[in-house]
Amino acid sequence: MRLVVAVCSVDYEGRLEAHLPMATRLIMVKADGCVAIHADGGAYKPLNWMNAPNTLIENEGEWEVTNPKGEKLTIRIEEKLSDQQVEMGIDPGLEKDGVETQLQVLLADRVELLEDGLTLIRREYPTAIGPVDLLCRDVRGDAMAVEIKRKAGIDGVEQLTRYREFLARDSRLGNVRGMLVGLSVSPQARLLAEDRDLMWREVDYDDLREREGRTLRLF
Amino acid sequence: MHIRAERDDLADVLSRAARAVGTRSPIDALQGVLCEVTGKRISVTGSDLEMTVRTSLDVEVKEEGTVLIPARLASEAVKKLPAGAVTMKTDDSEVEITGHGPSIRLRQLSVDDYPHIETGDGTPGSEIGGKELVDAINQVVIAASGDDARPMLTGVKVEPIEGGFRMAATDSYRLAVRDLLGTELPVGGLIPARGLKEIGRTVTDDKVRLSVGSRMATVSSERGSLTVRLIEATFPNYQQLLPDSYPNSLTVKKGDLLAAIDRASLVAEDHIPVRLEVGDGGATVSVTRQEVGGTSERVEGTFSGEPFQIAFNPRYLADGITAVDDDEIVLDAQDGHKAGILRGANTPGFTYLLMPVRI
Repeated sequence: MRLVVAVCSVDYEGRLEAHLPMATRLIMVKADGCVAIHADGGAYKPLNWMNAPNTLIENEGEWEVTNPKGEKLTIRIEEKLSDQQVEMGIDPGLEKDGVETQLQVLLADRVELLEDGLTLIRREYPTAIGPVDLLCRDVRGDAMAVEIKRKAGIDGVEQLTRYREFLARDSRLGNVRGMLVGLSVSPQARLLAEDRDLMWREVDYDDLREREGRTLRLF
Repeated sequence: MHIRAERDDLADVLSRAARAVGTRSPIDALQGVLCEVTGKRISVTGSDLEMTVRTSLDVEVKEEGTVLIPARLASEAVKKLPAGAVTMKTDDSEVEITGHGPSIRLRQLSVDDYPHIETGDGTPGSEIGGKELVDAINQVVIAASGDDARPMLTGVKVEPIEGGFRMAATDSYRLAVRDLLGTELPVGGLIPARGLKEIGRTVTDDKVRLSVGSRMATVSSERGSLTVRLIEATFPNYQQLLPDSYPNSLTVKKGDLLAAIDRASLVAEDHIPVRLEVGDGGATVSVTRQEVGGTSERVEGTFSGEPFQIAFNPRYLADGITAVDDDEIVLDAQDGHKAGILRGANTPGFTYLLMPVRI
């Protein structure tokens, strides 16, 4: 990633023509060749940009960015205030389910919060259609499949229903119950879960994290 | 194969072996128990590859042979027959179990598909009282974790010490350590807690032999053998967590403290910590939960040191008190921020270390 802060003007020619007058701006040249011009405000869109693949030619005081579609970005640089090159490595991607994973870890340690007397059999208990988040045993000896979602909707109920069906085929698990757990559980999901004799439970992420923080560990 | 045996005896050997049969085996053959009949005995093996239980019984043998039958179904079928003698006989692809009229036929599983099961690696065992071993196991397995994501915490570390051996388990919040003296054990290992819990239900007897090899541990008796694969992970270095002495020490009656914790737990569900204000003459046990209420009571005892306040997860605390085999409990602590130790006042050999909860 190359980051250049410069007093510059920008002209775009292609699907339309656009002009950015002379001002201080951030020019980002990404490793894949994308070029984006940012103002000092707004979190979403650059003022102007060219997606890769691009050809960047740096002349004295002027950059020319062209692409195979015939588009052209001309950046006239009056003064370069900063020019940094940063090696960012491979992007691990956006971890959308980070909260769900963390919830699973926190709840695995405290399954009794979901129901009194519940004990954990295993996290990520394998079934033929994928792992169920938690498999527990209740005080009566029944198995309890727990599916954890950040926002639990009817998709979660459907998923839990399928897990319960598959787990129930294993006679050695005994009676299999199901519980949908979310930071929030939608009204539709609550209704559908109750209709299918599944339980649902909302948990407080901050409260769980606070408990984790309050409980000291040996190592 | 054709045998005749007493219903209760046959049901017993089948159901004990079936306890090792897993609930999630990828191999169909492992859903069964392997019944091998030779001479005058039937030997029954159940396994999930991690744990294997082998039981045997003297029976009337009419025809030798080997058969693989569905584990739970077979033991339940035998139990449901009328009391008295039952017969088990193979017939082409089925096995027929009969007794005083009723007859149940079960389809056999393929013996050829049953994997080779290793039961021990020849390590000589050490003899120990069965009850002594099971009681000690029950004291430490409460502290083992059930979370497979941290496999080293799902086991019980067994290791030789001078004059005997030591068992230790921890889930990182608490640590239970039990010394068993009088039985030498040449080497140790990290034994799955799940396997150890099954010893009492499957093979224990007046005397058992415990052997720990490089890859497996076996407990055997006249009633059979249980073999578990050792966990290949490093158990935390827990010795450093056990100081030689503590400045503060409270001694109370086990029943009094347990009853107080039990009452506090009425309000303390959902991990609300139970507080102990420890000082001269005993401890005040209390819980406050804003939306519910609270409890507070005095537990009389003797104390030495500087008064301090400490809070614990009520379930973990009750587990530890219950595990101490003594009428009098000692709580040793440095202060309210470091781990407390529970032990018996008159029975050395068991230590339960518990981290406090911040208040």
